[in-house]
Amino acid sequence: MHSFEYSAPHSLSDAVSLLAQAEGNARPLAGGTDLIDQMQTGRFRPALVIDIKKLPELNVLEFDGDGLHLGAAVPCYRIYGEPRIVQEYSALADACHIIGGVQIQSRASVGGNLCNSGPAADSTPAMIALSAICVIAGPGETRQVPVEEFCTAPGENVLRRGEILAEILFPPRPANSGSHYRRFIPRNEMDIAVVGVGAFVELEDDGQTIKTARIGLGAVAPTPLLAEDLSASLSGKPATDSTFVSAGEAARQIITPITDMRGTAEYRKQITGVLVQRVLATATARARGEPSEYKPGK
Amino acid sequence: MAEVFWPPQGSASLLGGEHNRIDGLAKCIGSAKYAYDVVPDNMLVASALSCPHAHATIRAIDLNAARNMAGVVAVEPLKKEGDEIRWEGDLVAVVAGETEAAVAEGLAAIKIEYEVLDHFVDDTDLDAATEANVTRPAGRNTQLQNRDEDADQEFERLFNEAAVTFEGHYGINVITHMCLETHGSTCESQGDKLVSHLSTQNVSGTPGQIAGPIGLTAQDVTVHCDYIGGGFGSKFAADAWGVTCAQLARNTGRPVKYMLTRSQELKNAGNRPSGFLRAKIAADKDGFVTAWDSAHWGTNGTSGAPVSQGVIPYVFNPPNRRRVATGIRTNTSPARAWRAPNHPQGCAITQTAYDDVARHLGLDSYDVFLRNLSTVGERAPIYEDQMKLAAKLMDWKAKWHPHGKGGQDGSVVSGLGMAIHTWGGGPHASRATCKIHPDGGVEIFLGSQDLGTGTRTVIGLVVAETLGLELEQVSVQIGLSEYPSSGPSGGSTTVGGVSESTRRAATAALNLLLTKVAPRLEADANQLEAVGGKIQIQGNQNRNISWKEACGQIGISPIEAQGEYAPRVTYPRNYDGKRLTDNGVAGVQMAEVAVDTETGVVKMKKFVAVQDIGLIINRKTARSQIYGAAIMGIAYALFEERIMDKATGAFVNAELADYKLPRLGDTGEIVVELYEPESEYNRGVIGLGEPPVISPGAAISNAVCNALGKRVSVLPITPQRVLEAISGGA
Ligand SMILES: Cc1cc2nc3c(=O)[nH]c(=O)nc-3n(C[C@H](O)[C@H](O)[C@H](O)COP(=O)(O)OP(=O)(O)OC[C@H]3O[C@@H](n4cnc5c(N)ncnc54)[C@H](O)[C@@H]3O)c2cc1C
Repeated sequence: MHSFEYSAPHSLSDAVSLLAQAEGNARPLAGGTDLIDQMQTGRFRPALVIDIKKLPELNVLEFDGDGLHLGAAVPCYRIYGEPRIVQEYSALADACHIIGGVQIQSRASVGGNLCNSGPAADSTPAMIALSAICVIAGPGETRQVPVEEFCTAPGENVLRRGEILAEILFPPRPANSGSHYRRFIPRNEMDIAVVGVGAFVELEDDGQTIKTARIGLGAVAPTPLLAEDLSASLSGKPATDSTFVSAGEAARQIITPITDMRGTAEYRKQITGVLVQRVLATATARARGEPSEYKPGK
Repeated sequence: MAEVFWPPQGSASLLGGEHNRIDGLAKCIGSAKYAYDVVPDNMLVASALSCPHAHATIRAIDLNAARNMAGVVAVEPLKKEGDEIRWEGDLVAVVAGETEAAVAEGLAAIKIEYEVLDHFVDDTDLDAATEANVTRPAGRNTQLQNRDEDADQEFERLFNEAAVTFEGHYGINVITHMCLETHGSTCESQGDKLVSHLSTQNVSGTPGQIAGPIGLTAQDVTVHCDYIGGGFGSKFAADAWGVTCAQLARNTGRPVKYMLTRSQELKNAGNRPSGFLRAKIAADKDGFVTAWDSAHWGTNGTSGAPVSQGVIPYVFNPPNRRRVATGIRTNTSPARAWRAPNHPQGCAITQTAYDDVARHLGLDSYDVFLRNLSTVGERAPIYEDQMKLAAKLMDWKAKWHPHGKGGQDGSVVSGLGMAIHTWGGGPHASRATCKIHPDGGVEIFLGSQDLGTGTRTVIGLVVAETLGLELEQVSVQIGLSEYPSSGPSGGSTTVGGVSESTRRAATAALNLLLTKVAPRLEADANQLEAVGGKIQIQGNQNRNISWKEACGQIGISPIEAQGEYAPRVTYPRNYDGKRLTDNGVAGVQMAEVAVDTETGVVKMKKFVAVQDIGLIINRKTARSQIYGAAIMGIAYALFEERIMDKATGAFVNAELADYKLPRLGDTGEIVVELYEPESEYNRGVIGLGEPPVISPGAAISNAVCNALGKRVSVLPITPQRVLEAISGGA
């Protein structure tokens, strides 16, 4: 690894000004599970590393009338360790449970996962499904950007020089709703998603008809996607297997996966269809309060 | 006097028991030192620069900027102007510096101009390789029952008359050794002496390899390796990096650590050749293979050799057989011996074809394997016995369904498969020195190494058994080239070699002791034996003295005795007397899998391994060795492969994140059965490292084929290949 300076400011505003002064030659460090590896392999060579993982503003985990405020540096283990998140934002807990193993989950943050902006990041499709919003601090005004608009290309995002992702805001969970995230990997655990699917399903009071749905897709396009039309088309449909199968079919048509060493485009399309179908079924079961059969690795 | 040959089955006190490794605790708590853990004061670190091109010549190389970087102490070129690079990732120059950061900056400052040349990396397609002019013939031969007939006509007749004929395509991709501890060393130079803490399978053989190139002689170089994090056949040589590390230590006068990075390890330090095969096969209505006509090809890197003909088809020897072998030269690094060279590939690309005989005839695979055992030679009855045992452990008969005709659980289908294997595992040359101290202490010295297989513990057990002591009373000294030389650990030769030399050394030392003790017991040394921590009159527990007391008779200097095993000398040709070790084993494995037909994911449900290994010294580590082999086999059957990019010639998955190995959750239930009837026990010790890693590829492929009714022709059986086989496939 190359030589670099390290700084651990005490406040978000100090971090922002350090970052702004560094003129693009600095990087924030949250859990470091992406950044340290990228510095080791020489992909990034920042002159200054700014440690943000202890900033109080980035470590909030609070519920209020606006929903859940999740600090960008909160590590995965705190997220799935919070029973209300498991209950109300299940897709987020599902994603945090499968990012790396125990050691990685003790450090890795959802903010880092999003800011790293990889197409296969596990928490991003889950956050898209849950309609989460990024709260961005910087030298200017604090601004808000929906998660589905955050990533702009592989490894790139909307953050401007000096900006830091401070918090992610999840709106309150509606009644009769449930969510789920699942990825496809060739082995049981610890792998990079070939395809990842997050879904949120809200049912009518009858428990049989879909009121609204939101589907987030990972690893099938240069950035994680909100399947907007497909999600909208599910409103009013019966929450049945045949609806989920057709949704899977439709999902295959809207994605633009690449062929790489993890699989051909054709293969990713097949898997996306299967996953969309299975994820919608699990999210629906959760919306109904039924036990779901999902276990990571199955 | 003590007898050198092993006690009869059932009468040993330690041999064959369940023993923990004597170094288990050290490994668990981290006090075991590997080459990487050796950190002498004032040490420099070194690292290499890799070439990004698959094929190029070096036009110019400029190391000056690197030499001038702050913290860089030495820069050593490994290639010079005009040299040809023949695979991506080949090492070009090494930088040694004060810190890893200084070395990284130094490497970044090296300037090299390449002239990029055409490359070829695709070993799967024989026609494309032929067109690219990168093939070479690697032998052909024919065996006919009617020897005088014309081969073409005879094969035509056999295929016409057969109950079934079919053509099959089978393959197994290149994998790397993926040693958890990468190749490398830490070297310390002291005047004209050099100590290399080398990660090696060959402690006794490597000092000379290091000494010559750096202007020393072997006696000035000591190789030290107490622990090694995996070799699998790739760590027999000191290698260019081992020599360069020693050279840097000599040049700078400071200790140097130089280990390969993960990607350098995968790109340079060992891989297993690929094997692909097209065969036309004829069988009678009971599945007996009457004719085999095959062409096979593959690559071992730049020299272009395929899997050897001797393993085509594997274990079975059909009465009529024609095989043609072709090698493909690729711009990939040279292969190295990988656990049971040739056998896993031979098994994977031919016993799948035998299973296809069952599929095409709608027969039980078990019956087809059984039916063809008449062609395997003298070990046929052992295979038959082992198949029965394995089938019982798998509950084969109850679970069996014809290929593709099992029930479906949602999108999931299940299947069974089997394969059989053979290996030598005779001993390598080995010497040992056993010391018995006047205070009762016992030491055994061998310039051998423990690859993690439990060699250290086996040596200790043999000494303790021989001297009638507990394992804890023996101090085992290995891993240093100054000790009596012992062969490299490869080919399952170690356990035989070290148990021969150790048993002989310990017996000789004991006999010297018995001679000294005899007067005290008023007996002839011939009447004495060592059991249960005592020396006693044979069979008479009342006339004895304790071990400690006995050793008190030694005098002031310890007893020291040597033992040796020399191939072809210890047991000359045609020797048919008693023996301590032997050569040649069988083995049967069965797999049960579940396949999700929507995602293509294969899950291991159960894996059964039945294995003979002659006399078992440590049952626990023997079993562990087979668990490890099964997991390694599951890895190459379902997950791992080297992926080469045709366009750039790059090895694209040369990192742990991308090079897929199974996690424990992927391996399912593994059942190990050690097959040790008296007839096998009496053969003595036989090596176990290789045999159990041979069959998993074929057994698992056959199980997947049984589940789907279609063959996934190339290993590893990735989800994508499963889906392709379902939607197209034969
Ligand atoms: C062994 C291993 C397994 C892994 N498994 C998975 C997996 O299964 N799924 C998965 O999706 N990922 C996986 N990863 C990748 C990584 O762990 C995740 O992306 C993780 O969420 C990153 O979070 P972090 O806090 O460690 O980020 P860091 O490494 O600290 O940061 C990542 C990037 O984001 C920037 N950054 C971080 N926080 C902020 C912020 N608040 N504002 C602005 N920029 C910021 C950093 O500068 C850096 O560029 C794995 C990594 C490893 C090493």
